[in-house]
Amino acid sequence: MAKLIINGENKDFENTVPATLTALLDALKVDEATVVAEVNGEIIPRSSFQNTILDDGHKIELVRFVGGG
Amino acid sequence: MTKLTTEQFEAMLIERHGQTVHQKLKSATVGIAGLGGLGSNVAVSLARIGIGKLVIADFDIVEPSNLNRQQYFVEQLGIEKVTALTENLSKINPYVKIEGHCLKLTSENIPEIFKHCPIIAECFDKAEQKQIIVETALNKTKSVIVAASGIGGYGKSNEILTQKISDRLILIGDGSRGLEAGFGLMAPRVAIAAGHQANAVVELILEN
Repeated sequence: MAKLIINGENKDFENTVPATLTALLDALKVDEATVVAEVNGEIIPRSSFQNTILDDGHKIELVRFVGGG
Repeated sequence: MTKLTTEQFEAMLIERHGQTVHQKLKSATVGIAGLGGLGSNVAVSLARIGIGKLVIADFDIVEPSNLNRQQYFVEQLGIEKVTALTENLSKINPYVKIEGHCLKLTSENIPEIFKHCPIIAECFDKAEQKQIIVETALNKTKSVIVAASGIGGYGKSNEILTQKISDRLILIGDGSRGLEAGFGLMAPRVAIAAGHQANAVVELILEN
């Protein structure tokens, strides 16, 4: 078992956590173009989602936007 | 036409708000990114209470489809939103300073345009644009961002919330009802969200 802490809540994964931020958003079925992400307290630019490696226990904050203004 | 001098206008604001509050509002500069249903309403609220300066940015012109919720008039169709809103704000409060930028905001120009704004209201329409300004402002500026997401449809007034996500990000909205969910945008609910945004801005100004 491995876990990530997403927006303050534990999320368990069977073997390992998704390898990257992009893989996590894919698993959550969220369009990465609409997400501002923070990993362990650092804001990750969208262009770096793919290179952001995740590991067991990482703290992730995701803010997702929907259209309308 | 009746005119109010700057002294008369300020006296009215001081009578309403008190000297201390008035001075803080008058000293404040607020950025507004996007001048649609959210941005035009936020700007009108802040101009009415005597904000010192607004930095407003939008690349678009006023279109017929805007009139169901945005603070423009039929006679302004086809005019740049920056120009039209500047005109309307000046009629509400002739003494608010307005710096207008008619251009598309990008991750490159956002830090420069809003560099003198301790607070930025994110008022875009598209989710991807909201993402760009919030990410850029958090990463490349020191400003506090007041963003909005989930303001579509009608009813469910009490589901629109103001949430403090972090010291530098305040998020307004119901968290879900976007255009993607098939909800249209209508003046009442958009104005509720814009009211939350303007109110959060005032709170930041007065309590910091």
